[in-house]
Amino acid sequence: MATHEATLTTYKQKLANNRLGLWLFILSDSFVFAALLVTRFYLLGDKRPHLEQQLGLVVTSVLLISSFFANRAEVQISQGNRRGFLTSIFITMLLGIAFLVGVVGFEWRLAPFGPADGAEGAVFFMMTGMHAFHVLTGVIFLFIVFRNGLKGHYSPERHWAVEAAANYWHFVDVVWIFFYPALYLIGTL
Amino acid sequence: MKNGKIDELRRGVLVFLGLAILTVLEYYLGTHEAAAIFLWIVGLLKAALVVIYFMHIGRVFRSEGEH
Repeated sequence: MATHEATLTTYKQKLANNRLGLWLFILSDSFVFAALLVTRFYLLGDKRPHLEQQLGLVVTSVLLISSFFANRAEVQISQGNRRGFLTSIFITMLLGIAFLVGVVGFEWRLAPFGPADGAEGAVFFMMTGMHAFHVLTGVIFLFIVFRNGLKGHYSPERHWAVEAAANYWHFVDVVWIFFYPALYLIGTL
Repeated sequence: MKNGKIDELRRGVLVFLGLAILTVLEYYLGTHEAAAIFLWIVGLLKAALVVIYFMHIGRVFRSEGEH
């Protein structure tokens, strides 16, 4: 029992360091996205790419809903609700895949320009491509957490991986919160 | 503790509703050619909601971690 208490204390100390490390990673990664955002306004100025407005709203909504379920998964594992946690993580993964299908499968195909068609194409495909790559890595991260969750690796006291995956997922959502208006709403056609 | 966790679930729903309302507002402003500053303000509000309530940025400043 005393050993359990000791390891829990060590875990809590490690957790504080892990959190700091994750936030430093998020901060460094956000510079990449900030650079892409600046590039969009430097190259396109007040002109925005011709994109499907409704599709943009749908994929944005899908990502927001996925963030809600990622948060729900973290809360549920901290409550000891393993079934709820697994369901929420699974829904988050599915919504992440739906977002990828919406952007890469539909928006890329429907866009009236290609990646090599001037600044418009370069900016649009670079921004959405880099973001989609992060969504893909997030889905893989969530899948690993889901698989480990099935094996019973997490408890209300110990679930750093769940928290890290959820925070990474929310970060990807925050990036899209800025990319969405920059690509779809700000400027004129 | 249990009540706190239940409140967290409710807070998650409220934050999501806030994000949904702001997204609808953002779409309306964007499709009605509002000034870009308003879209940036809405974007910053949405990001703040996610960073504070979903990412729990406050946790990183604690000396000892706890879920």
